[in-house]
Amino acid sequence: MGDYPALGLFFLLTVAFPIGAMAAAWLFRPKPKADPLHEKYTTYECGVDTVGKTWIRFKVNYFLYALVFLVFDVETIFLYPWAVKFQALGLFAFIEMIIFIAILLVGLWYAWKEGALEWH
Amino acid sequence: MDLSMLLTEILVASLGLIVLITGLVLPARNNYIASGIAFWGTLLILLYSIFSFSQQGAIFNGVYNVDLFGNFFKLLFLTAAVLVMLMSWKYSNRFHKKSEFYALIIFATLGMMLMSAAGELITLYVGLELMTISFYILVAYLLTDKLSGEAGLKYLILGSLSSAILLFGISFVYALSGTITFESLPASLTNQPALIAGLVLIIAGFAFKISVVPFHMWTPDIYQGAPTPITAYLSVASKAAGFAALARFFMTAVDPVDMVFDWTLLLAVLAAITILAGNLIALTQKDVKRLLAYSSIAQAGYILVGLVAANTYGLKGVLFYSMVYVFANVGAFAVAAAVENDTGKTGIEAFSGLSKRAPLLAAVMTICMLSLAGIPPMAGFAGKFYLFAGAIQSGYLWLAIIGLVMSMVSVYYYLGVAKAMYIGENETADGLSTGGALKVALWICVVLTIVMGVYPGPLSELAGFAIQAIM
Repeated sequence: MGDYPALGLFFLLTVAFPIGAMAAAWLFRPKPKADPLHEKYTTYECGVDTVGKTWIRFKVNYFLYALVFLVFDVETIFLYPWAVKFQALGLFAFIEMIIFIAILLVGLWYAWKEGALEWH
Repeated sequence: MDLSMLLTEILVASLGLIVLITGLVLPARNNYIASGIAFWGTLLILLYSIFSFSQQGAIFNGVYNVDLFGNFFKLLFLTAAVLVMLMSWKYSNRFHKKSEFYALIIFATLGMMLMSAAGELITLYVGLELMTISFYILVAYLLTDKLSGEAGLKYLILGSLSSAILLFGISFVYALSGTITFESLPASLTNQPALIAGLVLIIAGFAFKISVVPFHMWTPDIYQGAPTPITAYLSVASKAAGFAALARFFMTAVDPVDMVFDWTLLLAVLAAITILAGNLIALTQKDVKRLLAYSSIAQAGYILVGLVAANTYGLKGVLFYSMVYVFANVGAFAVAAAVENDTGKTGIEAFSGLSKRAPLLAAVMTICMLSLAGIPPMAGFAGKFYLFAGAIQSGYLWLAIIGLVMSMVSVYYYLGVAKAMYIGENETADGLSTGGALKVALWICVVLTIVMGVYPGPLSELAGFAIQAIM
């Protein structure tokens, strides 16, 4: 039970800190009278002012690329330990890995056929 | 290591891939070939799993258990999958691509099978995600339908949230006990508050999946928006998978007798409010799919009663009732799918006068709903008898009384649909074409619901053998 008071203290601190920070900001910040919203809606400390509307649609293709990439990225993680221990693991592991890659290739084939790799 | 123990799972995984490839190779107009392969393949695997029912043994050092408990649930999932495929035969004409639909049903089934047999929390989680991710896509499968898309998005967000809660709980349990296999957990569980918090979070994660109040908010919207066969599958199979995993985890890893954490009381309170809320909200529903959604929340409460009892009767009831619930609920949703196919609506007014248009549909709906309400001689009565008898045996008399009273309340809204079908008037009196496959599913559901109610012996014996694996 020894650690729980410390944990509880941390919990209280995590709750109190954002409340305290926001309360202090509210207390000390200047409160402009005229048209406070216009300045607030402009780009702040992160680049130039935007041109045109920012509420436009982004292409979903990028997301599909990322997904396909991720699948093969994770596959590599599995391939490394297998390759390192290849001699010790033997034929059984080799066949297992072939099956694993074949399943992923079906996925790639599917993504390709459905047009996930084309940029329209 | 004997890989032949995993043959059912390997067959299901291969079938899913074959169906997917068939859809890739053949042009879209030959989609029926993919659905044919999916249906007959699943049926053959179902027959194989009946044939290999007595197979037992642990593989991968207890990470995966092949035992009668898991085999019972595998049988349940495959049966449900076959019925759902029969049900979608005609319904799937409105999909842009059928092969993916069937492949995803098969992958979801595989995920459920992993869940029911997993002997370790990470394997359990992987199975759960395989099932849920397949369902995210299936729920949103009616691409042009706004409700379906909305349901898919809601399910994605809430499902991810519940998975995160479950994972958070698992991380607590692992951090404080140093193990995640069910075998070695009992020895390393201590009475620490953080560990109990972890177990409570795990319960909350599962409670989302089996839609137990107060984690039920997603259920009505998603059941209403999803394609009706998927709603049926979601309500019977994914729930049964949740119960299987929950029962195996808490019975084998967190023994209530040790009193590390008396989870039965927590589940008892959840079961009570689930039964109350599910039944009372169902009373006011005007849409049959929503009504069945609230009824399925209440049914989850009844099944939870068996888990609370945690004795032979109660657990037998969980397995027996889950199986019976498959036939009753799939039957009811099959009728809803047929009516939706014909009228495009699922409101209660679409069902009025159904007895004149399609006597078979009206009769099946009535019988299935009586089974859900627990009226003898339907199978639901025998199941509820086991569940409530188990609760009384282990001292939860108040819970059994709530269950019994609320079962009586539920008769009102179930019979409300029957009243509309038999007494209500409809301007169109033309017959309603159901399609042969759906008719087969209807007959299977209705015959088994009656047979298992009149003669519950064999199924109850099977459930009795199955629960010995986790007692």
